[in-house]
Amino acid sequence: MSLLHLVVLAPFLLAILIPFLYKKFRHIHTGWFVLGLPLVLFIYFLTFLPEISGGGAVQETVPWIPSLGIDFTVFVDGLGLLFALLITGIGTLVVLYSIYYIANKKDEPLNNFYVYLLMFMGAMLGVVLSDNLMVVYVFWETTSLASMLLIGYWFHKERSRYGAQKSMLITVFGGFSMLAGFTLLYVMTETFSIREIIAQTDVIASHELFLPAMLLILLGAFTKSAQFPFHIWLPDAMEAPTPVSAYLHSATMVKAGIYLVARMTPVFGGEPQWFWLLSGFGIFTLLWGSVSAVRQKDLKAILAFSTISQLGMIMTLLGLGSAAVHFDLANGETLYTTAILAAVFHLINHATFKGSLFMVVGIVDHETGTRDIRNLGGLMTLMPITATAALIGTFSMAGLPPFNGFLSKEMFFTGVLNATTLDLFNMQTWGLIFPVIAWIASIFTFAYCMIMFFKTFTGKHQPEKLKKQAHEAPMGMLIGPVILASLVVVFGLFPNVLSYSIIEPVMRSILPSLVSDGGEFYVNIYHWHGPNTELMMTIGVVIFGSLVYLNLKRWQEAAFFLKERDPLNWLYDNSLVWLIDGATWVNDLQLTGRLRDYMAYMFVFFAGFMAWGLFYFDAIAIDLENTAPISTYIFVLVAVLILATISIPFINHRITAIIVVGVIGFLLALLFVVFRAPDLALTQLLVETVMVVMFLLVFYHLPELKKESFKPTMKISNLAISIAVGVFASLTALSAHAFSYENPVDAISNYFIENAYTLAGGNNMVNVILVDFRGLDTLLEVLVLAIAALGIVVLVKYTAKGRENL
Amino acid sequence: MNNLVILPILIPFLMGVILIFTNKRLSVSRTISVLTALAMLASASYLTYVVYTDGIMALELGNWEAPFGIVLVGDLLSSSLVAVSSLLAVSTLFFIFQTFDEEREKAYFYPFFFFLMTGVNGSFLTGDLFNLFVFFEVMLLSSFILISMGGKKSQLSESLKYVIINTVSSLVFIIGIAYLYAVTGTLNMADLSVKVAELGQEGVLNVIALVFLFIFGVKSALFPLYYWLPKSYVEPPTAIAALFGGLLTKVGVYTILRTYTLIFNQSSEIYFILIVLGGLTMFIGVLGAVSQFDFKRILSVHIVSQVGYMIMGIGINSTIAIAGVFYFLIHNIIVKSALFFFAGATEKVTGTSHLKKMSGLLKTHPYLGWTFFIAAISLAGIPPLSGFVGKFILIVAGFMEGNYFVIAVSLATGLLTLFSMMKIFMTSFWGEVKLPKPEAENVKVGSLIAPIVPLLIFTIVLGVAAEPFYQFSLELAEQIINPEHYVNSVLKE
Amino acid sequence: MEIIMIIAVGVIFSVATYMLLTKSLLRVILGVMLLSHGAHLLFLTMSGLKQGAPPLLGEEAASYSDPLPQALILTAIVISFGVTAFLLVLAYRTYKVHQTDDLEKLRGTADE
Repeated sequence: MSLLHLVVLAPFLLAILIPFLYKKFRHIHTGWFVLGLPLVLFIYFLTFLPEISGGGAVQETVPWIPSLGIDFTVFVDGLGLLFALLITGIGTLVVLYSIYYIANKKDEPLNNFYVYLLMFMGAMLGVVLSDNLMVVYVFWETTSLASMLLIGYWFHKERSRYGAQKSMLITVFGGFSMLAGFTLLYVMTETFSIREIIAQTDVIASHELFLPAMLLILLGAFTKSAQFPFHIWLPDAMEAPTPVSAYLHSATMVKAGIYLVARMTPVFGGEPQWFWLLSGFGIFTLLWGSVSAVRQKDLKAILAFSTISQLGMIMTLLGLGSAAVHFDLANGETLYTTAILAAVFHLINHATFKGSLFMVVGIVDHETGTRDIRNLGGLMTLMPITATAALIGTFSMAGLPPFNGFLSKEMFFTGVLNATTLDLFNMQTWGLIFPVIAWIASIFTFAYCMIMFFKTFTGKHQPEKLKKQAHEAPMGMLIGPVILASLVVVFGLFPNVLSYSIIEPVMRSILPSLVSDGGEFYVNIYHWHGPNTELMMTIGVVIFGSLVYLNLKRWQEAAFFLKERDPLNWLYDNSLVWLIDGATWVNDLQLTGRLRDYMAYMFVFFAGFMAWGLFYFDAIAIDLENTAPISTYIFVLVAVLILATISIPFINHRITAIIVVGVIGFLLALLFVVFRAPDLALTQLLVETVMVVMFLLVFYHLPELKKESFKPTMKISNLAISIAVGVFASLTALSAHAFSYENPVDAISNYFIENAYTLAGGNNMVNVILVDFRGLDTLLEVLVLAIAALGIVVLVKYTAKGRENL
Repeated sequence: MNNLVILPILIPFLMGVILIFTNKRLSVSRTISVLTALAMLASASYLTYVVYTDGIMALELGNWEAPFGIVLVGDLLSSSLVAVSSLLAVSTLFFIFQTFDEEREKAYFYPFFFFLMTGVNGSFLTGDLFNLFVFFEVMLLSSFILISMGGKKSQLSESLKYVIINTVSSLVFIIGIAYLYAVTGTLNMADLSVKVAELGQEGVLNVIALVFLFIFGVKSALFPLYYWLPKSYVEPPTAIAALFGGLLTKVGVYTILRTYTLIFNQSSEIYFILIVLGGLTMFIGVLGAVSQFDFKRILSVHIVSQVGYMIMGIGINSTIAIAGVFYFLIHNIIVKSALFFFAGATEKVTGTSHLKKMSGLLKTHPYLGWTFFIAAISLAGIPPLSGFVGKFILIVAGFMEGNYFVIAVSLATGLLTLFSMMKIFMTSFWGEVKLPKPEAENVKVGSLIAPIVPLLIFTIVLGVAAEPFYQFSLELAEQIINPEHYVNSVLKE
Repeated sequence: MEIIMIIAVGVIFSVATYMLLTKSLLRVILGVMLLSHGAHLLFLTMSGLKQGAPPLLGEEAASYSDPLPQALILTAIVISFGVTAFLLVLAYRTYKVHQTDDLEKLRGTADE
């Protein structure tokens, strides 16, 4: 257990203390107890920067379930560190923000909130800092769980519960497939360590399970990172308190899928399927998200779809960039790595501007009581600081200079344009689609950014539509968005602050061949590339985007704009309905409550089992030779037995039926005599007599037997089932009989015959067996009788009163 | 030393008899019961420990050498199952003290309880097929009484079906023994293993194996033989449902595990059938849970679904799979009973087990809510709890043996399990506070949760500190998958 | 002889199954009883009907019929008796409470 492990587990440890702190210091906002932790962790992770920038990596291992290949290995490299910094850095700001956002009211369950939040923070750190896939998985599911709990934080609201359930179902579905994918990797490589798997990539690439493993892992990544068509959970996740949306559903958790894809790029990157799936789903998500965002009226919903779209963009870039793995980088083919570079850079940028925007929206919501853009407007003068942060955020997101969003958007265009020149994976034919879709999506992105800013902060102020008197937020709430907004500017002006310290090591994690091939690699981000295609595209985006925005009024009445909800929700909602209906149908089909049905299913199965076994294993055999001779009187006895048996179903008189069954019992006793079993005969006689008497006593009071009123089909199926049971049970018996003569074994019974007298001192072998050789059976048999007797007493005497039934 | 094996059977048997006579004196009965359960637990734990250090222990009753007399066999599997069952018995007793009214306790409840335990422990420990039948009967008859006592209207009609179906399967058991005895001429399970191996598991022996699969399939509630279970388990008091849900089907699973590793271990077709049945059982079972809105009903059908996982594992039939089955078995006994207890505690608060009639319990009873949440996600296989580890081991085993499809089914089942458990959580524990009666808010359930806490700790420990338990399971699986260990210890060859 | 006995047992099983599939409680219980008769008879038959002497050592016979199945059947008969007796009383109790012996009417409460 090293310090690093402690760091990952620290949020969990603090989470355990939170309920006590909440109870004990009720008047202090619980958030203050939490705030220090992410800050300390952030600073701690900053100390790793020099080493990681220098190309190093830190690793500590604690065995967890070593026999299953699961070790808790904390591994800090560029990629992990970047995420750890995001998690703790934004975490600090979010906690601070939340202290002001969620007031410490009397029955506000702040303890729950911070326990979930810490649980999430620890889990997320675990995801990005673990080298072992199973540990990644464990933390991954924990983030899903924490996310579900946070979405349902205000669980009295129907929408919260709906959103929580949806996010849980979709992300856990992805999680389970990811688990399967990881396990397949384990089956191929016999290790869960990511680095050991990377080392074996060449060996496993041709394995038949390689592709399924890839698909399953991608399912995990796509669901978590809200890629089409799994993105539908994210808009509903906005029911969570806004700090949570800022933290989980834009900056960190939804990027776990991105992280996973980046992490697995060295393993799967060389495959065309990987390339196509990532870039295809990514670019479609980009388009879908940005188009959907334009028609939203709720600020948070705009941000949700915007997040979806931006995640799609990063996914696309990672997909396109994976082509880099396919090339020999030492030959200077760094062209394709631009895409990965753009992905990493945009990941950071997105966290900054989207984080700040969420907080801004939270402030607007908090101070005005609404997030509906139809009710908002003219807040610029009332909330100048908030408006500035919003301006920076939205313009950066729209891809305008001098903000960081501009830089990464330009690089994104470079990436997609490069893709058209790729001469592998059939890119020649399809390549042009990428820049075109990217460009269209960017236009919509520009449009919704403008909607967000101008509809909220400019135009006419409508105080009558607001629930509260709008004014600037308190200082504490502004710190978060202001810091993030300033980062947007700083990274925009001086992108190379990031280049050498963090982006380069991240690139090395995603494309390890960069270093192993000894090729020179360094990142440099420029503002000005000259009047190239990318710049033209950006200018086009601004022009068309403005057109879209300006013509919004004209389009707002269109059916497309009126429907805010994603059409895919229809599929999700109905699948749940179908699932429940289908399940009910299957259930009702079986659990009818009719004993007859239960028995019928069971006997069909029983007879079918035997029939199948007899034929499949070729077991049917009848041995006519090794049988005892038939004597006439036995023959008569058996004939009577059969006749009596067959007559029973036809008897409609209860006493007669009971007596005939009794007669069969007595015939049995006779047969026992004939077959040299005197003790049995005696017992049978006794038991049968008592039984018949009991029957008569009990059923004397029961109504007369009625003729069975089954439908004819039912009757025939009953008959068929009965005959099948009899036939196959007999066939099995006959075959067993034949088998025993064909393959004779030493039966243990000879031992009893030989030793009954000498060892046990009795002449009646059956009795000796009963009381001595198998005394336990007899003891238990007595116990059974005793239980039955006692049970009958209880059954008759005891009736539960009232409702103590628990 | 070998006499240790009989203690877990003898203790509840004798004390059960004594409890008949102390029936009217409740405090005496309760004290004796707790002491008995603890003694059972102690002896079983010690037995497990001794078996772990010294190897399989066989006791020839009356000193009649195997295979002629009856032997009791304590191997890792049977002894540890007895230990876990005893643990459950202790927990259940404390829950019973809280929830039962005196009338019920005085209706010879405790004797039946311990006779049931006699049957359960005996079924685990016996090494003789016919003796297994007898122990089954002891167990079943006790369960018949426990499930029907009280005599509510619906309880009686459901119990009746339960009793009839189980009686029929017991009679089929006799038929099965008749077939098997005709072919092998022996009843001792170790000897059966030898004989079946000598004969080569061919022809009619496979048919007999299928007959036994039917018999044990009924006991373990496999599809399509589980119909006796879901409705009847809703009727008796929850403490009894918890005990039954935790134990009875698991006895069936144990016998399947034992039979198809020790005796009928040569036919790949039968293993395939087990996999198919396992997959069907888990999926169809969970569909039942998805469609229901009654707390106890959901839990009852989950029993069925979870049995599917274990049967699938037995069908996969590798060392890792068996280890997974064992892990899952232990996990399930613990968690399933805990969940039933929660259903009971919830019902105590609200007076109903219908989910839609209550909501917002998390606000009024946070401890109940969160402890339930832990058990629920453990059942659904969310890490890092025991359910996850059990499921994960099975997944690894399934993939290693190339059973991809059934593993996919098991994962889908896991998701639906989560769905149905979260349905309980979100419908009843979340939402506006709305309880059937106003005073429900103040009902204290701390004393009901207390007996569940040890079970919860167990599920957490089984998940977080899985390594030693998994090592143990592997060792156990090693013992199971190589029947010669068992055979040699019993037949002393 | 065995063949005939097995066929007879098959008939008993068929009829027992048929009875178990009916709607009348009494018929079902009679079915259970028949099934137990069949099972016991089958057990005896399956262990071989060689015409040895009864398993009493005093008989001084050259061969005895197999004593073990007889002991087992005896145990089984007694156990079946206990279980059936309980079943009978349970059925009676159910009848009393529900005022019907028609299993169709004992389907229980409809599903929620």
